[in-house]
Formats: sequence, structure tokens, C-alpha cells
Amino acid sequence: MTDTPKTSLLTVDARTRKRNAAEKRFKAYGIVAIAIGLLFLVVLLTSILRSGLPAFTTTVVALEATITQEDVDAAEGQLLKTAAYEALLVAKVNEFLVERGSTIEVDEDFITDRLVPKTGATIREFYKENPDQIGQTVTFDLPASTRISRYFEGDLLREDVTDSRFLEVADLDVVDVMIDAGLITTAFDWNFITGTDTAVDNPGGAGIGASVIGSFFMMIVVLLLALPIGVAASIYLEEFAPKNRLTDLIEVNISNLAAVPSIVFGILGLAVFIQFAHLPQSAPLVGGLVLTLMTLPTIIISTRASLKSVPPSIRDAALGVGASKMQAVFHHVLPLAMPGILTGTIIGLAQALGETAPLLLIGMVGYVAREYPDGIISGFVDSNSAMPAQIYTWAARADTGFYEKAWGGIIVLLVFLLTMNLIAILLRRRFERRW
Amino acid sequence: MKETNMTNAKISARAVQVYYGDNHAIKDVNVDIEDKTVTAFIGPSGCGKSTFLRTINRMNDTIDICRVEGDILIDGEDIYDAKVDPVQLRAKVGMVFQKPNPFPKSIYDNVAYGPKIHGLARNKAELDQIVESSLRKAALWNEAKDRLNAPGTGLSGGQQQRLCIARAIATSPEVLLMDEPCSALDPIATAQVEELIDELRQSFSVVIVTHSMQQAARVSQKTAFFHLGNLVEFGETDKIFTNPEDPRTESYISGRIG
Repeated sequence: MTDTPKTSLLTVDARTRKRNAAEKRFKAYGIVAIAIGLLFLVVLLTSILRSGLPAFTTTVVALEATITQEDVDAAEGQLLKTAAYEALLVAKVNEFLVERGSTIEVDEDFITDRLVPKTGATIREFYKENPDQIGQTVTFDLPASTRISRYFEGDLLREDVTDSRFLEVADLDVVDVMIDAGLITTAFDWNFITGTDTAVDNPGGAGIGASVIGSFFMMIVVLLLALPIGVAASIYLEEFAPKNRLTDLIEVNISNLAAVPSIVFGILGLAVFIQFAHLPQSAPLVGGLVLTLMTLPTIIISTRASLKSVPPSIRDAALGVGASKMQAVFHHVLPLAMPGILTGTIIGLAQALGETAPLLLIGMVGYVAREYPDGIISGFVDSNSAMPAQIYTWAARADTGFYEKAWGGIIVLLVFLLTMNLIAILLRRRFERRW
Repeated sequence: MKETNMTNAKISARAVQVYYGDNHAIKDVNVDIEDKTVTAFIGPSGCGKSTFLRTINRMNDTIDICRVEGDILIDGEDIYDAKVDPVQLRAKVGMVFQKPNPFPKSIYDNVAYGPKIHGLARNKAELDQIVESSLRKAALWNEAKDRLNAPGTGLSGGQQQRLCIARAIATSPEVLLMDEPCSALDPIATAQVEELIDELRQSFSVVIVTHSMQQAARVSQKTAFFHLGNLVEFGETDKIFTNPEDPRTESYISGRIG
């Protein structure tokens, strides 16, 4: 018999206490780590939303006008037709000011240059398309100039305003009257979603629509090329290729390619696709090809991992009933690996969607996308920008109005990414449910 | 070791050597396996019985480092001949594995897969017929007939193994190889599978690898004892278990080695 004292299970000994304490500490570290992560996420999201949401709104000035057939005829008879329509607005605004008991009188320059720039064309267009509205009272919601919209939103203070051709201090009195009357309001800016990029002096009119289309066509190229090539390469390497030095070398190289900085792929794309193959510059086709090169290793690695995770007993079962190797792979292994392949593909696509550096080298960054492509072919080969390139371009411009647009662009990009992830999750569910 | 030379041989192995890289796993095995009999391979772990079983339908081809020498004849045809496509061979020599491995598909699709890829059914009705008769032969029909579209992986272990047997016999093979088919099953399921093996003997030549000597004694007519890659003794099951010739066989079945 040994002489160790009998221990009770009801008292916790020092060793156990220490172990339990270590476990508790570890759990606490984990919770702290998650909390820090969440905190950063919240900070990131709030700052993006705070800075980016104003990009989705615009300040509009509601101007009422009753333009008769005589007015139209008179305006159409003049040399400067749009200016004639603007003159009609001036009278209306002055009437309104008298009504409100204001003694200020505005002139044409105030309306056309400082309050609602270049409106004459909008109004003329409207009456051309809706001739039945002639003689009726129509309210036009016209986009306010950048400075007035900043004044309305409180970003520009009266003290800071100095007379210039963009805004005069006296104008603010008129604007104040209009704000009091509720004529100046904030509205959702559809133009930001559907519009195209503008010149550097007009941040208010800039939209991300054309670059969204550019990114969309690039993603189509990436998906159509990277998915089949990547999956085919992985299946061959994983299921058919002999294990020898050559395949080992290929394997190591694929893993290394996944870690190559994306700008290197950009240089490669510039040299091969543009300088050698003479594909058009700034085209989504070239962007897509470059991003395909970048995405392939990601897709191959994740596809091989998910092929590997399919239990070998399934292959044995298929081969055992006399399936050929290819039948075993395509009937049994590939469907089981599909969820993993989809996840890898979406990760690769998401990476490609947000990539700016390679686009810099093939000319998509800095390209001012002012037009939508005419069709599907031109969508691939005509010069265009892409979302991250557009954001980069805006962020680099001097006017702070563009800075806001850049943040707004980031929100659009994130919405795109979330949508893609959602599609991936839904597809994965579908594939998993079958088993 | 005694050279067996029977006229009724379905499978004949002549001087078979199997290497895994440098490891000589099967050493010079000669054996004749009869048609419509159950032949059991017994022996301690790592003795090469499963390896030898897998050479009979060339499942070893899937292992890169595995190399087979010698001849294995089925009905007098060398299955390692360059002209033989292993896919055709495996349709003729079905296999049931140690762990039940149904496809993650419906019970129906599990059984129908083999006939489908070999074009054994001209239409749906014929395929239904094959599925039903295979499930009946595997004694699973009564349990499965109302849930043919349920996933095969949702069955119990014993049912899954019988589903795998049904899948293997659906291609109407001539030989059925079973690699420890009951090792993952409880005694009741084991009894059902053993009963099934006895019935399958009517139609096929069955070769079964087993760790359980009682099972070998219960289901087989012929027994082969492997030890360290050698076929030590092959003969009538009764004789192997009651009056073995080789002292190693005697020590193994009496529990002294293994």
C-alpha cells in the first residue's frame, strides 16, 4: 500500500485549478479577439456609410413654370434656344420672390450659372417630348449647383463664401428664401447609379453606372475562363496526373502564383495582351484576361482541396462497379466537391472584382468612362473603367465632391460583393441539398 | 505448398507477385478459385489477403506504386493482358468494400448506377426490374421498396452494406469480391449478410476476406490462409479448420499467432 493521502473529489486540487484557469483565460482571449474584430468592422462600416451615403443623394431645386405655346414658339425662333427657356424661368423666380415679400431681384446668370447650371436644355427637351404639357403648370426638379447644394447641406457656411462666378454672397439670400419655402430639397440621386463619369469640374454629375458595366463584363470574362480552366486543371492534376517531379514542380508553382502581387499580373497583361497581341487598351476583355490569370491559382488551389476532401471510398465504389476513371470523377467526385469549388470561385471572383493594381497598367484607371457600351461586343472591347478603378480615379481628383463619390462607389462595390456571396451561398445550399 | 489443379477453376492465379514500391507484399501465389463456391481468405493483419483480393479486379491499378507480376486468369483469360480494359473487368468482377460506401444518392440510383453506365437496361422498365431483383437478392427489397428515393446514406450500417452488395450484383458479375464486408456491422447485420453470401453462391463465385475465423468456417467451402505475403495453405474449409497441414495454419486458427 502506498502512503499517498486519500483525495476527495469534492475539493479541486491545485493542478486542476490551474488547468481550469488556463482554459478560462484562453476563452477570454478568444472573446476579446472577436470583439476587436467586430469593433473594427463596425468602425469600417459606419465610416463608409457616413462618408458614402451623401453620394447617393442630390440637392434639387423645384422650379415651377407655366410655359405657353407662344413662349415656346418665341424661344424656338431665337438663336440661343436654351437660353430663351432659361429666361422664362427667371421671370417665374422673380414673381415668386415678390410673392414671398422679398425685395431681391435675380437675373439670368444667377439661374443658369449659379443655381441650377445648364437647365435650359433640360426644359427644352421636356417640352419637346411632352408637347401636351405646354400651357400647363409644370414643376421641374433641377439639380442644384455643387456650391448651393453644399450650402444647403451645411458644409459651406455663409462666412466662407466670397463672390465668384460660381456663387455670390447675395445669392444666399435668395437661396434662404427658397429653402424656407421648401423649394430646395434632398432627393435620391439615380444619376449616381446609372450615370457615367464626368470631367474634373463636375463632381455632382458623376455616376458609377458605366464602370459597373465595365466590372460586370470583366467578371464575365473571368468566370468564363477561370472556372473551366481552373477546374479542368485541378481535376487533371488531382485525379489523373502521374505523381512525378514535373507535377510536383507545377504544384509548387501554382501555390507560389497565388502569392504573386497583382501588379505583376498587370505588367504581364500589358506586355502580352496589349503590346504583343494588340488587344485594345482599357478594355474589359483585357482586364478580364489579366484578372483570370490572377484568379486561376486561387480557383485551382481551392478546387484541389475540395477534390481531396471527397472520401476515397466513393472513388472505390464507383470504380468497383466498373465506372471509368472519368465517370467516377464526373458522376461522383465532382458533384461532392462542388460546394467547395463554388466557394473558391467566389473568393477568387471577389478578389478580382476589387483589384485595382493590374487595371492601372492596362489603362483602365484614369480612363474617363463617359459612355455606356453600345452592345455586348463593344462591352468587351471598348474602353471602359471598372468599379475599383473608378473609385481610385475619383479619390485622386482634387475636388472634394469626388471624394464623396469615391466613398459612394465603395458602397456600390460592397453591395456587389455581398450579392455575389449571396449567390454563392444559395448555389452551395442547392448542391448540398441533393446529397 | 501444394499446387492445386482443378478443372472447375473460375479464377486461376499463377506465380502472382505484388510489390508496393520496394515492399514485396504478395509472394508467388498460386491458387485456383472455383465457380459457384465461397472462398474465404484468412490470415493476420498485413498478410496480403486484401491486396491479393484487389488484384483480382485490378483495383490495385489505382495505387501508383503498386506493381503486379504473374498471371491471373478468369475463365482462362489473363486479366493483366494489355488488351484488357479494367473497366470491363470490373463489371464482370464486382466488389464489396470493408466500410459500407453507398453513393450519396438515392437507393434506386445507387443500384441503377452500374447497369446505367454499362448500358444493361434498354429502358426505364428494365432498369426498374434490375434494381428490384438486385435489391431482392441482397435481401433489402422489403425494407427499401417504399423509400427507393430516400438517400442511401440514410440507411443503417447493415442496410448500407446490403445496398452495396445489391449495387455490386446489379451489373450481373460472375465473381463477387468481398473485403471484410462485415467488419463494420453488428452481429445481427452480420448474420443477415452471411446468409446472403450463402444465397449468392448459387449465382456467383464469391471470394471473401475476413478476420473472423468463425465467419470463414460458417460461410465458405474453401479457405486460403495467408501469412506474410505467402499463401500458406488452401483447401476445403472443414479440413483447414480441423486438420491443417501446415504448422503455421494450425497456430493461427488455434490463436497462437496473428
